[in-house]
Amino acid sequence: MTNNTGKNENAIRKKKRITAVCAVTSAVFFVIVFGILVLAIATPDKEKSESENRVLKKFPAFSISAVTDGSFMKNFETYFNDQFPLRDKLIAFKTKFERSLGKTEENGVYIGKDNFLFEAPTKPDEEKIKELTDAITAFSQKNKKLKKAFILSPNATDIIPEKLPKGLKIEDRSENFKTIQKSLSNFSWVDCKASFEKYDKKDTLFYRTDHHWTTRGAYLAFKGLSDEWKLGAKGKDYSFFTVSDSFQGTLSSSSAVGDATDKIEICVPKKEAGKYTVLYESSGRKTATLFEEEKLNQKNQYEVFLGGNYDKVVITTTAETTATLLVFKDSYANCLLPMLTPYFSKIVVIDPRYFSDSLKGIMGETQFTHVLFVYNMDTFLGDSSLAAALES
Amino acid sequence: MVFSSATFLFVFLPIVFAFYFIPFFRNDERKELKKKNIVLCLSSLVFYAWGEPVYIVLMLLSIVYNFNAGIDIEKNGNNPKARKRIFVFAILFNLLVLGFFKYSGFVVENINSIFSLNIKYEPLSLPVGISFYTFQVLSYVIDVYRKDCRAQKSILNFATYISMFPQLIAGPIVQYNDIEKALSSREHNVRKFSAGTLFFIRGLGKKVIFANTIGAVYTNICAGGVSSLKAVDAWFAILCYTLQIYFDFSGYSDMAVGLGKMFGFDFVHNFNFPYCAVSIKDFWSRWHISLSSWFRDYVYIPLGGNRKGTARTIFNIAVVWTLTGLWHGASWNFVAWGAFYGILLIAEKYVFKDVIEKIPRPVRRVITMLIVIIGWVFFSSETLSAAVEFLRSMFGANGFVSADTGYILRNNIFPFAVMSLSALGFFKKLPTLKNVPLRLAFQAAGYIVVFILCIVFIVSSTYNPFLYFRF
Repeated sequence: MTNNTGKNENAIRKKKRITAVCAVTSAVFFVIVFGILVLAIATPDKEKSESENRVLKKFPAFSISAVTDGSFMKNFETYFNDQFPLRDKLIAFKTKFERSLGKTEENGVYIGKDNFLFEAPTKPDEEKIKELTDAITAFSQKNKKLKKAFILSPNATDIIPEKLPKGLKIEDRSENFKTIQKSLSNFSWVDCKASFEKYDKKDTLFYRTDHHWTTRGAYLAFKGLSDEWKLGAKGKDYSFFTVSDSFQGTLSSSSAVGDATDKIEICVPKKEAGKYTVLYESSGRKTATLFEEEKLNQKNQYEVFLGGNYDKVVITTTAETTATLLVFKDSYANCLLPMLTPYFSKIVVIDPRYFSDSLKGIMGETQFTHVLFVYNMDTFLGDSSLAAALES
Repeated sequence: MVFSSATFLFVFLPIVFAFYFIPFFRNDERKELKKKNIVLCLSSLVFYAWGEPVYIVLMLLSIVYNFNAGIDIEKNGNNPKARKRIFVFAILFNLLVLGFFKYSGFVVENINSIFSLNIKYEPLSLPVGISFYTFQVLSYVIDVYRKDCRAQKSILNFATYISMFPQLIAGPIVQYNDIEKALSSREHNVRKFSAGTLFFIRGLGKKVIFANTIGAVYTNICAGGVSSLKAVDAWFAILCYTLQIYFDFSGYSDMAVGLGKMFGFDFVHNFNFPYCAVSIKDFWSRWHISLSSWFRDYVYIPLGGNRKGTARTIFNIAVVWTLTGLWHGASWNFVAWGAFYGILLIAEKYVFKDVIEKIPRPVRRVITMLIVIIGWVFFSSETLSAAVEFLRSMFGANGFVSADTGYILRNNIFPFAVMSLSALGFFKKLPTLKNVPLRLAFQAAGYIVVFILCIVFIVSSTYNPFLYFRF
């Protein structure tokens, strides 16, 4: 009898203990659930998110129609997520947590060695390459007299694959570079890939936190171009200045990995002939610089070069030459353009991705002597606007 | 609104808790319970309208109609003809509403392709949860007709049953019989609430930490199209999907059971380690249990079950599994998926019965799992032909390894292994700490950590950087 009661008491005590622990857990659950609601109400709403580079949602306006069509509810959820207490810290913690478990990819960005971040490279599509090179060849055949050069920058994944996360193999695109070079036989080919691979500090040619080449990379390409066109540019003609050491570029933003910062250098020709004016055609804005200093105060500091991407920019220089240049480019060219200013009296820069004007009109207006294409492999392989611009 | 959203957890839930648990009528239990049901019913309607502001009308209509149908059936207890008429009408009404919203596009599409017609139709958006609540309503009407239960006399209780938000959008399918009593009298205490919290946190973790993570791996591998996948990649992808669908669905069910307990209800458990099954029949007694029981109770047995000879039994199984397939979605790959299981179950019952018993259990588990995984190929594909393409890839139509295989495996093998072990019930079998207070303390801490991690994962999933990528 006594033994039995003892057992029962034991069982009851055990049950009580379990209940107590469960109760503690649910009390904490309760506190967190209510606490966050209180905190969310108490903390003032933020205007924008620095790390996400965007304006955060405000409390949505209430109206009957917004409720019946469901937009109020959707907007409220976005608002609540955007203004969630400690949002930035929680997100940073998540990336750290996942990386500590060995994850080397975040939002499509590879997290490599030595704080290098990489964008997944565009997969080459041979048909697409042929379409593109055909369009460019057609353009060059129409403009036989022009001196033509092509700068096709490789991407970080092509040049420093040893910095990729362990075990990640990237498709070798060497053959694609060769194919493109061969198809564009009318062009002076600036062999960036070869000169990058030979360079002794390869890991300074690309930003660690951004998908662009650095100004050093651009300068190497420029020297190649100078050789091809015999511009005679010498190292001593150019000065490098560091304008920022707090740059965290697009790869850092999209992966939410913010361990490292990059420095941004600008490269300026020393010669007096480097004086010029810049006209942004679509807005009519005029400046006397290719560097937009105030962009260093924003998240995407790469926009310090040319202020970002514009459909058509006209650079008029004081260089004593009759040479004039037409440039088709993506954003890689933005930091290279200043180096070209001593050698051309006029440079017209077209970014086909934003361009909707007529190329014929532009070529009729100015008698160009040179034409230059500046692309990086990823953008080039994924391009869908260059062919149309060349035919316009 | 889904349970795994910040809005649900930190706005909706605390507000509902506050109104539900702060007593309005301290001295009158009946009034207090009525208030609790009003809070539950209203908050369920808000919960539903949050994502479906228009379709709330449909749900209210269904509630009012079926409430009256139930009472009418009971009132005509002495008039079998009238009873039957009301009953048949109610069944037709519910099935037509479900059919109209869920299957009209599918039917028109097939008529068009068979008769080469071109009937135009506006694709309707599917009212969330309609498949679940229609089945609950049907269980009620049928039970009342069969006199298995009395008609519900309070429209408040009836509406609470149909719309109850914990199980409204993803089950479990609660049969009216199971909660009839609880609607009019139920206990609320710390122990039940706490047990509910643990269930809920476990479910939330399954969904947010496990299912979403492994689901992203599946999506990632399949992003380049399934027809060119290498065999190893394809197998890994479908294994990830296998884990995703289990943790997603069972996580949601656990959250539902947990919320139910917090509000004093005991819902049926919907999953019981399905990936430990030793046969297909066993699998279906462990997977989405509430759906299988529904079909058993309201289709298979009324059709005669296995009591009318072999031919009739086979026919009954075929009907049940075609319907099960269709219930999951209006498309041929779901029908194929249902038929696949129907055929396997028939084969298991009549052809391989003796063979199966001789096979050792571990082998039977592996075979069952392989069949289930192949079933998921049909389930995960958008079309039947995509499923066939996927199967071809799995069996080496495009070669076996890709350049990415090693990287994909290396990057995901840890979470994959942990989740697989968890799905197979491995962690349940681990020896537990002898020291009870210490063990309990660890458990409590574990649950709290999981809940905090869930918050981190939920908030991170809304990270949305504005980029000029590739520009």
